[in-house]
Amino acid sequence: MGEIKPVYLEEKLKEIEDSGRLDYRSKTLPTWCPGCGYFSIVEAVAASLCELNIPNENAVMVSGIGCSSRFPFFVNSYGMHTLHGRALPVATGVKTANDALTVVVMGGDGDGFAIGGGHVPHAARRNVDITYLLFDNGIYGLTKGQTSPTSAIGFRTPTSPYENPDRPLNPLLMVLAYGASWVGQASAGRPDHLHKMITQAMAHRGFSYLHILSPCVTFDKTHRTYANLGMQVRDLPADHDPTDRLAAMREAMDDVTPALGLYFREERPTLADALDGLVEKAGGELPGKVAAKPARKAARR
Amino acid sequence: MSTDIQISIVGSAGDGTIAAGDILKSALAGMGYKIISFDIYPPEIRGFGKCIARMRITTEQVYSLKHKSDVLISLDDSHAIPHAAEVRECGAVIYERASIVQLPEGGHISAHIGPGQLPYPVPVRELAEKSTGANRSRNIVVLGFLAGLLNLPDEAFLKAIAQKFKRKAEAAAASEAAYRIGRDFAAQTFKLDDVVFGPPVSAVVAGASVEMISGNAAIVRGALDAGIDTFFGYPITPATSIMERLAAEMPKRGGRLLQTEDEISAISAVIGAGFAGARAATSTSGPGLSLMAEMLGMGVIGEVPAVVFVSQRGGPSTGLPTKTEQSDLHMAVFGGHGDAPRIVIAPTNVDGCYRCAGKAFELAEAYQTPVIVLVDLYLSNRYETVVFPARPPFEADVNRRPGKQVAGAQYKRYVLGGDSISPRAIPGEKGTMHVVTGLEHNELGRPSDQGEIHEAMSRKRHEKLKAALQHPDFTICKRFGDEGAVDVGVISWGSNFGESLEAMLKARGEGIRCAAMKVVMLSPFPTERVAAFLADCKEVLVPELNYQGQFANLLQAHIARPVTRLNRVPGEPMKVEDILEDIRRLAGCKAAQKAA
Repeated sequence: MGEIKPVYLEEKLKEIEDSGRLDYRSKTLPTWCPGCGYFSIVEAVAASLCELNIPNENAVMVSGIGCSSRFPFFVNSYGMHTLHGRALPVATGVKTANDALTVVVMGGDGDGFAIGGGHVPHAARRNVDITYLLFDNGIYGLTKGQTSPTSAIGFRTPTSPYENPDRPLNPLLMVLAYGASWVGQASAGRPDHLHKMITQAMAHRGFSYLHILSPCVTFDKTHRTYANLGMQVRDLPADHDPTDRLAAMREAMDDVTPALGLYFREERPTLADALDGLVEKAGGELPGKVAAKPARKAARR
Repeated sequence: MSTDIQISIVGSAGDGTIAAGDILKSALAGMGYKIISFDIYPPEIRGFGKCIARMRITTEQVYSLKHKSDVLISLDDSHAIPHAAEVRECGAVIYERASIVQLPEGGHISAHIGPGQLPYPVPVRELAEKSTGANRSRNIVVLGFLAGLLNLPDEAFLKAIAQKFKRKAEAAAASEAAYRIGRDFAAQTFKLDDVVFGPPVSAVVAGASVEMISGNAAIVRGALDAGIDTFFGYPITPATSIMERLAAEMPKRGGRLLQTEDEISAISAVIGAGFAGARAATSTSGPGLSLMAEMLGMGVIGEVPAVVFVSQRGGPSTGLPTKTEQSDLHMAVFGGHGDAPRIVIAPTNVDGCYRCAGKAFELAEAYQTPVIVLVDLYLSNRYETVVFPARPPFEADVNRRPGKQVAGAQYKRYVLGGDSISPRAIPGEKGTMHVVTGLEHNELGRPSDQGEIHEAMSRKRHEKLKAALQHPDFTICKRFGDEGAVDVGVISWGSNFGESLEAMLKARGEGIRCAAMKVVMLSPFPTERVAAFLADCKEVLVPELNYQGQFANLLQAHIARPVTRLNRVPGEPMKVEDILEDIRRLAGCKAAQKAA
């Protein structure tokens, strides 16, 4: 343990102002409960957009329905707050219409792996060039605390008053199997690491999936609390090879002590590359808007 | 002399019935005749289902098929026998002379040919084997026989055969041999004096092109001519061929097409692409439209342009996937939750498919809302000769009114007032950032559940569509037949209007004062113009291919007046005779009342 230095509020605020990341926060105040893990995610996303120097008007936040899906209103960019479970196909449409946009999708465990579960494999296998931030709190917060597909067995909620009989899904393992080209895990309880992971995910060219463990401070006082998460999480082993999908899957199997970090990364053609390839095969000409692509790549570097 | 000849080819799946029909159509269209045709096929790819290729060849403009055919060609007697009675007096029945299996009594079509009909037995199998060494070209042998019988020029047929098999040289050579042997056999038989082709009429405006094209192909051409950028879809009969054709054509123009994992994904991507400023569309049938209902509502409340081509089939549920019906009008106009007004347009013929498909993109952008183009299997698969204008009659870019935006002020994506159409910014544009949400929202687009805001926004979303009823260069509805007061008015929509118009014209020929109206825009409903037409009619007949009378329901929701409904769900087009009979009955009924 190093020496603990005092941080003064005024200094911290000035540091934040000087960073420029406040330009990426909208004037709408978040609707989340005090103490919610999502506050650190919106701060991290703003900081990452700022760090990558993405023009506000070129960023599009796309979400479904749920506590986490209110996110686009709190970011100073374009956004779409869509239907429950449909953020990924909407984002696929946005990105297919205009390659120059930086598209970030966010949603909860219910939105992504219950009602919207059918869309995740296809966004992953097509390698749509978007970033998917999955806020996993293991509960349905917006409808006041029902069981979700990542709730633990035995979890008691208003829809499982005796206990939740279903075993939870392992989204990390699924997304690795679906063929996502960037897979990582972070925790809302470790904001600095979270920020680094989001920046990497957004800089990745292709479908990047970041699983973010977060507590629901209002409706879950027993399972996924800050205290429990803090005790459970660990870092991925220092010698983990992120180009080895099988090793990544082995790590992902451990959902008792979830590991944070970059599980897997590969470079491969995106959906847009594939569609441009079809235009070439058909002997067509690419429309002018695709020319905006290199500019975007430069901005990311 | 004018020509009006209908030919039916009936066979079993795998006999090449539809292929023979395609060659015949393309040969006759190439000669300059007008064609209207509609094929019927079973839901199975192979097996023993019934296939019918049916076409009407004319020199004058007609609107539907005839009840009776002039020539019937049987490639499979078990299927063709029920259709023998559909051949007119002095018409011809062409069939296989020899039977390879012992048939039960009455199993051969020759036993079903009426005394007034002319039988033409042809050794089809024998000729096919002689010419090609296989019996697979039976369908081409009968075409050759037909050409010889009706004195049609070989060049047109040989060109059509070459076109059909342009990538299969071997099949093309075999087909040509089969055609010639069939035609030569016709020289040995007695002539058919009563079915005669007059000279074709080809008056084409300079620059325009005449093509024989199906409804779905016309939709594709409309979408391409309107500059479609992106398409997302999922295969479903009878809309699949829209997606298939676009998949071949769009990449040639730099467009992007993606086969999604389901219809929900397809419409979601269309809404996303529309938000990002692309001209985006999807195509589906009733079951897919059911799945799209929720996201269409998102398009309505978010005011996002989107185009959905819907080709109806028999329902509910999986229903009758390869049979036609007009039973998705309720869902197209009213489907989904909440007050969700949208634009629904339903072309009545193949030319209309082209115009509606192209205009749909204009309407979606101009009024910032989803647009459904509603056709049905009959119209999707119907072939007609269409005259295409030299320049596409569609606006390439609809003004999104960015000028309305006030500099320095906060951007109001959903500003109220005026004609209720707000300026629309798209991602990438500076200073106009906003979030599109499925939640009710204020002028800035921020969520709000205040009563007065919901009232104002609901009014906005309904009011803005009124202007669509005056949209330039687009037929909203149209009246045909007698002017002024009439005894019977027929009002109809979609594919069924052709039969309605044909029946009305026949009734006029019989001296009945009558008129017909087609309604293309179903939502918003052209109440004033329809009411003016109905006011002229003593009796109103509404024929449509559904059980509930869905258009009649829609009409009566807007205009309170009694109408006579004619509802049929046979899975195929309505018979002109049935409509005509109702017109006669209604005209007579009125006369009977007068007498009393």
